[in-house]
Amino acid sequence: MPRRSLYAAAALLVLVFALVPFVPGAPDSYLFFYLFLVFVHIVISQGWNLVAGYTGQISLAQHAFFGIGGYTTAVVSTTLLADGSYYFNPWTLLASGVVAALFAALIGVPLLSKLAGDYFALGTLGFGEIVRVALVKGGSVTGGSFGISISSEPFDTLRPHYWVGLLLAVLATAAVYAISRSRLGLALMAIREDPLAAAASGVDVLLFKVLAFAAGGFMAGIAGGLYAFYVFAVSPGGFLNLNWTLYPILMCVMGGNGTVLGPVLGAFVMTAVFSAANVWLPTAHPIFSGALIILVMLFMPNGILKAQDTRQGVR
Amino acid sequence: MRKREMLGLVAGTTASAVLPGIAFAAAPTEVTIGAPISMTGLLAADGLEQKWAYEQAVADVNAKGGVFNKAAGKKLPVKLVVADDQSDPAKVTDAMERLIKIDKIDLLLSTHGGDLNMAGALAAEKYKKFYMITTLWPHMWTPKKFKWSALFFYDAGGGAEVPFLIWEKLPAAERPKKTAIVMEDSPDGQGFGGAFAAMAKKHKAEVVMNEPLAMGAKDYSAYILKMKARGADAILLFCNPTDAITLVRQMKEQNFSVPYFHGWKGTWTGEFHEALQAASDYILADGFWSMDYPYPGAKELGERYEKQYKKQSVTAGMFYANAQVLLQAIDKTGSLDPKTVRDAVAGHEFKDTVQGDVKFAPDGLALISSSANQWFQGRLHLVYPAVPGGWQLKMAPPWNQRK
Repeated sequence: MPRRSLYAAAALLVLVFALVPFVPGAPDSYLFFYLFLVFVHIVISQGWNLVAGYTGQISLAQHAFFGIGGYTTAVVSTTLLADGSYYFNPWTLLASGVVAALFAALIGVPLLSKLAGDYFALGTLGFGEIVRVALVKGGSVTGGSFGISISSEPFDTLRPHYWVGLLLAVLATAAVYAISRSRLGLALMAIREDPLAAAASGVDVLLFKVLAFAAGGFMAGIAGGLYAFYVFAVSPGGFLNLNWTLYPILMCVMGGNGTVLGPVLGAFVMTAVFSAANVWLPTAHPIFSGALIILVMLFMPNGILKAQDTRQGVR
Repeated sequence: MRKREMLGLVAGTTASAVLPGIAFAAAPTEVTIGAPISMTGLLAADGLEQKWAYEQAVADVNAKGGVFNKAAGKKLPVKLVVADDQSDPAKVTDAMERLIKIDKIDLLLSTHGGDLNMAGALAAEKYKKFYMITTLWPHMWTPKKFKWSALFFYDAGGGAEVPFLIWEKLPAAERPKKTAIVMEDSPDGQGFGGAFAAMAKKHKAEVVMNEPLAMGAKDYSAYILKMKARGADAILLFCNPTDAITLVRQMKEQNFSVPYFHGWKGTWTGEFHEALQAASDYILADGFWSMDYPYPGAKELGERYEKQYKKQSVTAGMFYANAQVLLQAIDKTGSLDPKTVRDAVAGHEFKDTVQGDVKFAPDGLALISSSANQWFQGRLHLVYPAVPGGWQLKMAPPWNQRK
């Protein structure tokens, strides 16, 4: 398919999604909420895709950045913007991403300069624990184990969440697409394939790794900020839940890690699977979801998109 | 992505968004109550007990013909729909979305636990659905001035005062003189610890030790030696069941016992007794409720639970009462309108629930008392609040004097 047609088709698809809220009754349907969840998952997954899929660094800290983003939104909303102007304040959302990215950069430098592979993954997992404990012990600033609740008074409809989620998902996907086709993307992929060779070719390995890690943190953080505007209550139990790391990994793996559309496809499929299992198997859905994950790993280890490529002999 | 696939995706998305908009109006034939419940995750054990209690309450009402509905001009059967919140505060809203948008529930019963119920209350505010809550600290709920929920529960201070109120009823010679406060090193534990220390001060009880308990530790010798050295004769313990079992086992191994041992969270489960057997005798456990309460239906409900699960429950009654309040309010108003039902709860009294008479303040809060129950020969006996002719507290003898 020619690139121009691909862009046109993508633009049309985004337009269709953007018009969905105008369909009578749509915002009151569960599918509408499902699409919102998909968008949130796409944003976090693209963040992980950039770090792990393109740069080859397995991060287990997306939940930490998601939590930091959510807490940033909650703290700003209940302190600096307590007058009521917090709701969907773009600067608040941006701050959620920036604070998460700063934390990622801060922790990324020591971790990425010293650790790689499994050790880096465990290090990021440890960072998540540190964040969780810090939030639990944060006293009145973080609300302890109970967290912080924001007034849900401004909520009227899920439409703004949907549109902002769609916008962020499109921007995250476009960013990954742009990066993948840029010199930066080449550098990241070179690091993924062989860090020593990349360094020998003049790539500043640590700088690019930290950049990717911070970008991944930014995406997770901004998603956390958006989700905070949806639940109006952030808590360590809800926002520092490891599922915010595991689900995006599954989505990337299911769709195709290290591809632009893999996380998008994975988010649609896995969110549908988890939601459907939740609805129809309320007490046994973790078993169903777990079995599905095992089957995917066994029969489609490279994800849907790469499986198709493999069948066609295209790599 | 191929052109055909892209078109398919576009068509599918549009169709999926349009179809839910097609709805058909129908006369009410039943009342649908939704409840987000922790059926998986860390709180699943409590959640399944809660689900059982809600189901019993609904079944009991249906056995009497259901609840009155003005629009239908008759009693309608009640249907309970539950959704798993996965013990995750961020998933409570997800569960509520399902209940509201897929199951089209009329009114809601709460899940269990502070942060989960706060998320539920906020979701209820968003969708303007009435959410009848239990198990959420009033000091967290009240300042929010929620319009679409009501709460009945005890406050943390009231819960922490229970042992001191029990001691006041004892002969002076039997009252504990030196108290050890041992609270797990968690925010809940430390928050509760502060409340115990404040209550000890209020009741002029000497605290000889107030230390956080390391969670999940395998060796509590240091705590035991310290309590022994300081002559503690009462222990107020807040921790999970595993740590409580470990501590009691090691106290027995080190031949250290106190006349009064009162646990919160960790000593009420059947597993606590199963693990310790006779060593659990004399130990007190907190509870939300007791089947020994002299209220209509309490004993029967407790027996029903025991028959089914072969163990006692100190929580089921409160969840059952939560459903009783909601169902009585629906029946009284004959309405399913969330605001009408909420108004029928706030500022009103509900008589003869299994939790006794529950009186709600105009803001929708009803304060109740927590219970204290003593293990003896495999059963939990209600100590507080005391009931006429009820169980008399037994102070624990040293280990070597127990039969």
